Amino acid sequence: MEFQGESNIPAPCQEVWDALLDPEVLKECIDGCQEMTQVSEHQYLAKVRARIGPVRTTFSANIQMVDVVAPTSYTLEVSATGGAAGFGKGSASISLEDHGPETQMHYVVNGVVGGKLAQIGSRLIGGVIDKLTTHFFTKFVERWTLQT
Amino acid sequence: MYSFRYHKAGSTQEAQELHASSGEATYLAGGMTLIPTLKQRLANVDDVIDLAGIESLKGVMTSGTSIKVGGMARHNEVAADSTIEALVYLASGIGDPQVRNRGTLGGSIANNDPAADYPAAVLGLNGTVHTSDRTIPADEFFTGLFETALNDGEVVTAVEFPMPSRAAYVKFPNPASRYAVVGVMVSETNGNVRVAVTGAETCVFRVTAMEDALSADFSSGSISGISIDSSNFNSDIHASAEYRAHLVGVMAQRAVSQIS
Repeated sequence: MEFQGESNIPAPCQEVWDALLDPEVLKECIDGCQEMTQVSEHQYLAKVRARIGPVRTTFSANIQMVDVVAPTSYTLEVSATGGAAGFGKGSASISLEDHGPETQMHYVVNGVVGGKLAQIGSRLIGGVIDKLTTHFFTKFVERWTLQT
Repeated sequence: MYSFRYHKAGSTQEAQELHASSGEATYLAGGMTLIPTLKQRLANVDDVIDLAGIESLKGVMTSGTSIKVGGMARHNEVAADSTIEALVYLASGIGDPQVRNRGTLGGSIANNDPAADYPAAVLGLNGTVHTSDRTIPADEFFTGLFETALNDGEVVTAVEFPMPSRAAYVKFPNPASRYAVVGVMVSETNGNVRVAVTGAETCVFRVTAMEDALSADFSSGSISGISIDSSNFNSDIHASAEYRAHLVGVMAQRAVSQIS
């Protein structure tokens, strides 16, 4: 399942890049993220409370930044386990284009889930990944667009 | 199943108070989705608040111009008591007898499963959702995948359906679960035509192109040429997005031919 999109952010490239590397920012933008701790330079551990319809469960996620090319692109690799609920794996490739005072952000998100979650909700996984992706990038862009 | 505290509320107010005092609570209506989810350990909550003991949420009431279905009315009660034929047909086609004896209108629309039947009834018949705090028009109630306009702790007390001059619901059911692969509700009420589709996208939606065509000419021929954009449609082992789009047209035409 793949989703892609792009957003225009009214901020210089370096500023957007710094935000993308900031665990506090990532925590704010991930729907249901309760904790985000940095383990090493490009690795984070997160606790995410997923609330999708009747499903309410807490996932522990390992987030790794790979292919980091400062300040223009990286890929977030996420693997998550939710106990009995199953597991999820995904990646988000984000690239930035410098347009002076503005930055164009492109993203491609992939995801798969396994275990019970996949068995029960396979027809919904696309919708869920889409929802989480939209939430993340909407929140991220709002950091600049909501400032007055 | 993870352990939780079970409460049986005697009134809507008591249910809301219990909900507000809990760390994380969920209401139990019919439990047709919630119980399997709890049993599979896909959900873990502190408190489960059963609404089955609240008398004011039960029953189906008919007046001359509308029918009011309680939030805790079971599908079989609606199938037996509703004076709207399309609603009778819809309710009697949900799941199996066990589901229809347990499942409730309020539970179904609060859950807003993308393949559930009732969202098509509420949106397609232009129902008004009454909650513990306010009334919400159908067009504002369903907001996305499993998402509604309900706030945390808000209870669906009833849905009021205006009496349509004509209405029909046709679905292509999944043969195992009877969930709608695609379901279409077509109605005309006081000259306003509505076409609502469930099962096809992540959330129930209206097809305005068909509504316009039917307003001008209420016949299945008038909508046969309308193409449906499938780019946001669900795709799974049961049906591809393109097939679902095709089914929307076929189900809508069948519904229209029943009542034109």
